[in-house]
Amino acid sequence: MHEYVDIGIHAFPEGADTPKRFNLVANRLGFSEIAVTAHSPFWSQFPDSSLPSGVEIVAATVRDLRKKIAFFRGMSTIVSVHGGDERINRAACKDDRVDVLMHPERGKFSGINQVTAKLAEKNEVALGLSLDYFWKTQEMQRSRLLAFQRRNVSLCQKFGVQVIITSDACSRFDLRAPRQLKALARLLLLTDREAEIALSEAPLNIIKRGGKKTEANL
Amino acid sequence: MKPLSPTLRDNYRYVAFKLSFEDPIVTRDLQTEIERTAKSLFGDIGVSKLSIRVVAFDGTKGLVRCDFRHVLELQAALASIGKIKNSRVCVTTIGTSGTIKAAIEKYLQIEEKIRRIISSYVTVPISGKAVRVYGKEIDIIPEDRKTVDRADVQFIGITIDDNERLI
Repeated sequence: MHEYVDIGIHAFPEGADTPKRFNLVANRLGFSEIAVTAHSPFWSQFPDSSLPSGVEIVAATVRDLRKKIAFFRGMSTIVSVHGGDERINRAACKDDRVDVLMHPERGKFSGINQVTAKLAEKNEVALGLSLDYFWKTQEMQRSRLLAFQRRNVSLCQKFGVQVIITSDACSRFDLRAPRQLKALARLLLLTDREAEIALSEAPLNIIKRGGKKTEANL
Repeated sequence: MKPLSPTLRDNYRYVAFKLSFEDPIVTRDLQTEIERTAKSLFGDIGVSKLSIRVVAFDGTKGLVRCDFRHVLELQAALASIGKIKNSRVCVTTIGTSGTIKAAIEKYLQIEEKIRRIISSYVTVPISGKAVRVYGKEIDIIPEDRKTVDRADVQFIGITIDDNERLI
């Protein structure tokens, strides 16, 4: 029996449900654990700053990104970067303090090329595959973003980059059961085994290592 | 017309699902939304292969029929439903079975779930009016609508553990 984990949950006050409500709904759906990840602008709004177990850094420039990584690395278990801009994507993959590069395809292009993929593999930065496009976006936008995601998935498969699947949920209506996420991942050319790893082993390893990557790979 | 012999008939699978919703949904709207989403994902040819039909739906749980080779596609289509009639929903698949009888016995047993409509003002963790209780879960209409607008929902979701005074 696999332990499924979602590490891309945005809880109240950023999202519409409290972490406890998310936990309750996620357990019912079949997740054994969730990790609350706050976007960096919302970090200070959490009444208890120890609550979110991760942070998703939103940065305008590469310099800003490096500063924020240095600031947040010591305090949170998971450091992910809000992708979209190509320079930010590349800087995130270059930095071994980053755990996950979330949705790099949110810009004009797919956001990852062979250089970025090799850097991500070298620095153990996982690619965060947000499957919320399936239910949050309109038809034309969805087909464009899914095409980018498919390209990114095939690059990750070629260069051995770890992939993690999240529902990027802002409310309980954005949570999907692991079996549904696996069915959606199949449409993005992930095999059943790869989807299984992306939902269980890969996010669990990120939580367990808590920012301490293996020296041998760096 | 003479009916098809059993060996020539289509084989179906019945997928049991559970619906979480903000506003109540009727079967016809659900059927239309499933078809629309499946068409948007797989196109006309894809939908024709799926043979989707909502067999039963009681407002919270139901059964959808599909071709036995395309269960995963149906699961993907159900997972892709985010809104029905401009109200947020989430369709969660519970399990798949080969007959309606087995699907009902295995997955659609009546769940004893207390659902209360309440109306009390709360301040923790957010100021607003608590309106619905499902078991341990409470929905709040907040005074400050910034968060709900950002998440595109109507209610803030908390649990009884977040606000023990509401027990």
